Amino acid sequence: MNLSPSMLSALMPLLIPALGACLLPIAALDSDQATVKWIRASMFFIALLALAGGFLYLTRLWASGAQPEFGALHMDRLAQFGGIFVLVAAALAVLQLWDHLHQEGWVKGETLSLLLFSVVGMMLFSATGNLLLLFLGLELLSLPLYALTATVRTREKALEGGMKYFLTGAVASAVFLMGSVLLYGVTGSLDIAVIGQRLAQAGPVDPVALVGAAMLLAGFLFKMSVVPFHQWTPDVYEAAPHPISGFMSVATKGVAVLALLRVLAVGLPAVGGQLREAVAVLAVLSLVLGNLAALAQSSIKRMLAYSSISHAGYLLLGFVAATPAAYAGILFYLLAYLAMNMGAFGILSAFGLVGEEVTFEQLKGRGWQRPGLAIAVALCMFSLAGLPPMAGFYGKYMIFKELIMQGHIALAIVGVLASLVSVYYYLRVPVALFIEQPTAAAQREAAERPALLAPLAGASVLICGFLVLALGLIPGTVLDSFARRAAQAILVQVP
Amino acid sequence: MITAWINSHLLSFIVFAPLVWGLALLVLPERQAPLAKLLGLLGATGVLAVAAVQLLHFNSDPLGQLCAERFPWFTAVGIPVDYHLAVDGLNLWLVLLTTFLVPLTLLGTWNSIGKRAGTAVALFLMLETGMLGALVAQDLLVFYLFWEAMLLPMYFLIGVWGGDERKYAATKFVLFTLAGSLLWLVALLFLAGKAGSFAPEVMAQAVLALPAGTQATLFLAFALAFAIKVPLFPLHTWLPDAHTQAPTGGSVLLAGVLLKLGSYGFLRFAYPMFPQAAARYALLLAVLATVAIVYGALVAMVQTDIKKLVAYSSVSHMGFIMLGIASMTLIGTQGAMLQMLNHGISTGALFLLVGMLYDRAHTRRIADFGGVALKMPVFTAFFLVVTLSSIGLPLTNGFTGEFLILNGTYNSAYAWGRPLACVATLGVLLSAVYMLWMVQRVFWGPANPREDSGTAHLHADLNAREIAVLVPIVVLIFWMGVHPQTFLGHSEGQVGQLLARSAQTTAQANKVTP
Repeated sequence: MNLSPSMLSALMPLLIPALGACLLPIAALDSDQATVKWIRASMFFIALLALAGGFLYLTRLWASGAQPEFGALHMDRLAQFGGIFVLVAAALAVLQLWDHLHQEGWVKGETLSLLLFSVVGMMLFSATGNLLLLFLGLELLSLPLYALTATVRTREKALEGGMKYFLTGAVASAVFLMGSVLLYGVTGSLDIAVIGQRLAQAGPVDPVALVGAAMLLAGFLFKMSVVPFHQWTPDVYEAAPHPISGFMSVATKGVAVLALLRVLAVGLPAVGGQLREAVAVLAVLSLVLGNLAALAQSSIKRMLAYSSISHAGYLLLGFVAATPAAYAGILFYLLAYLAMNMGAFGILSAFGLVGEEVTFEQLKGRGWQRPGLAIAVALCMFSLAGLPPMAGFYGKYMIFKELIMQGHIALAIVGVLASLVSVYYYLRVPVALFIEQPTAAAQREAAERPALLAPLAGASVLICGFLVLALGLIPGTVLDSFARRAAQAILVQVP
Repeated sequence: MITAWINSHLLSFIVFAPLVWGLALLVLPERQAPLAKLLGLLGATGVLAVAAVQLLHFNSDPLGQLCAERFPWFTAVGIPVDYHLAVDGLNLWLVLLTTFLVPLTLLGTWNSIGKRAGTAVALFLMLETGMLGALVAQDLLVFYLFWEAMLLPMYFLIGVWGGDERKYAATKFVLFTLAGSLLWLVALLFLAGKAGSFAPEVMAQAVLALPAGTQATLFLAFALAFAIKVPLFPLHTWLPDAHTQAPTGGSVLLAGVLLKLGSYGFLRFAYPMFPQAAARYALLLAVLATVAIVYGALVAMVQTDIKKLVAYSSVSHMGFIMLGIASMTLIGTQGAMLQMLNHGISTGALFLLVGMLYDRAHTRRIADFGGVALKMPVFTAFFLVVTLSSIGLPLTNGFTGEFLILNGTYNSAYAWGRPLACVATLGVLLSAVYMLWMVQRVFWGPANPREDSGTAHLHADLNAREIAVLVPIVVLIFWMGVHPQTFLGHSEGQVGQLLARSAQTTAQANKVTP
């Protein structure tokens, strides 16, 4: 087969970060050398360069309007959206890792390489409707994340968290694979478009196909950490280095949402319709459980983990509404979530808080020491809580509006009440930063061990705060020029 | 060129100038706090000057908008949102009240902010943007955004500069307000979906096509959000906490403007948009308002803390405003309009005065005082004038407002008008009891003999700065009492139109479904 330029341009966005991932281990062959300053700098430089290269390539592709294909790999606008989303999240995570790994005293060459491989897997996962390629993407994104969770091996909970994630993730992958097999058995195809056509021709949905689709759904929901597939989330987020937790919560959830959109909501509309009630129930469960459990946490990372479960619930509500506008709203929500959650996790690195357990106590009174950072993270928190004029408000607004217009008023009321509850625990961060006084022990500790400066992590938090505000002030522009066009890329395929 | 730009974007300028100015002040370092306070005061005074000069000379058309700005902002998946601001008869004086109170607050609390004064001044200015924006917004989504935008500055003002229980009070304030406004958002989105617009007049048309039950539910969702803000009994429990914990300036603006936005919301949106449902629930609102009047007064009577007493008196006074609105008469509603201004000025002044006392004595317990008049005669004179205005003595502003409200309620078309007006009149009496009793215990009699009493700490009477804050307030108190027409004239046409329209709609609806 000859490689045409169009095929190559479909592949390039994946190849650039993959190239970076392959180069990185060479840059730090002897992992002890990674602590040497210039080697460390060149590692992070390569990683950022690879991410920036992919980003620039994708933005040019987006601007040109081209939607190249390479076999089952569809680099359409939705995939380009997914790629840009993942690359930005990864770049923010790399900025935070620079400081965080240094603070942890665990600068190793493999960390960034694994992160980049995971990025490639995510881009593949959001760019294909072929079940086999999807599985490949799923594994390629998951395996590095399992390892990354356990990467700081000096931590007590790291191996436990990594193992938990690996075992549950392996089961989820197996379930996903089994679902693909069932769909293949019923329709004789692995391509979701063909599967959709054959199922539609066959009339009423085959129960075996329904079970298969439900198993695919379970695989996606596991990656989105929707109740009852959420159990791993708090432990894994706690075990992983803070920037990796942030990256997982944003990028993994994001690409799972994109794949769910491409494969089930649009690819198999009839089956998706039958599963809608189940999706609504799971969304409500995620909202209730995520928000209530988040109330009770003393560890910030566990609070953010439960909050990420509740945000999965909001995103799922968009799938219940199931209109083109709701899908565009979901994509906008993802952008908002990218900024606000990377900011929320980033503040931990920016304040130089190490170890797996970071409590609200440790934030007390710090807002007045670093007002810029604290304001940025407060904006992220208000946005997570859905307060206008931050980006998070518009994400919820668009999803709730479509829900209400489709007549699901009860679900919308559950949604707003859940976000009312969430205000309480999100406010605990600004309360700790600005209102509470540091405890005597914390003051003594701060005097003994002054926090290391974290310029890059701080910059990433400021970027996130800026994005949260900017997306909130010009929601229409972003929605029209970006989110809606990405959603249209796959919606035009269905009659 | 700049003046031309300001003239064409006058409202945006008035609304956003405080925000921009406040953000700029944040750049100043901590040790430059006096400069930040001065610049903040100048900025707020500048906004007052622009608003007063520019808005008061637009008064040609009593029914229309005096000044407006409108352009499409964004199309949020299908429903267009207009950036539509306007000043008309209903909000003109409330806008001026807000721009008037902010510089007074900044000047009045000059030395009492304490730590991080520059940041506090910036937050006051941001709060001003939220309040002004909510007052002039004519598109419901824009109104909602400004409504929520008021929360955060106030949250931080209470949370950072408040008393010992500030964390609890600030969180309670935010959660109560959001509980109402989030459910209201659902109703708003439902209605926007039906109407295809966020413009209140378009929405009002869409409401007519809805079944009566749906209309009622939507009205209740609107009413809940506004009633929490007012606050109407039994949703008032956040208010005493917020007031007692808030710093003086926060209390002044909370009582002076934020509460008004609740009653203003009823008058601007809930009543005109849902005339039938409003008529259906008029009794409920009127009864709750009357309960608030009497209950607020009774609870105020037994308070031991002066600030808490004033906070509960707010519940009682806001009850009068709601009663006037519920009466659906021209006189009652006009009285409510006037009473909104009165309460903003009198209660705002009371909070300022209590703050001045607290700055000197570091206590607000009534039992810690006694004989303050001996130590601070000028302060006592001002306090007495404001107290009498709050009670509603004839020739002061309070009398005119309460008289119009009671008159309107008594003569309303509803059967409940007379009995409730009689009960509410009891509230006027009770307000004299709790205020004068407090004045008697705090100001009259011999000086409190205890060595650690509040009175013992009073060494200086009011200084020139404090007098400069209080004099304009006293002038307004008498002006509004003697010549209320200055303040009522602008709204009369519009209120009349509003009432006529809702009477017409209700009559039509009754004809269709007898």
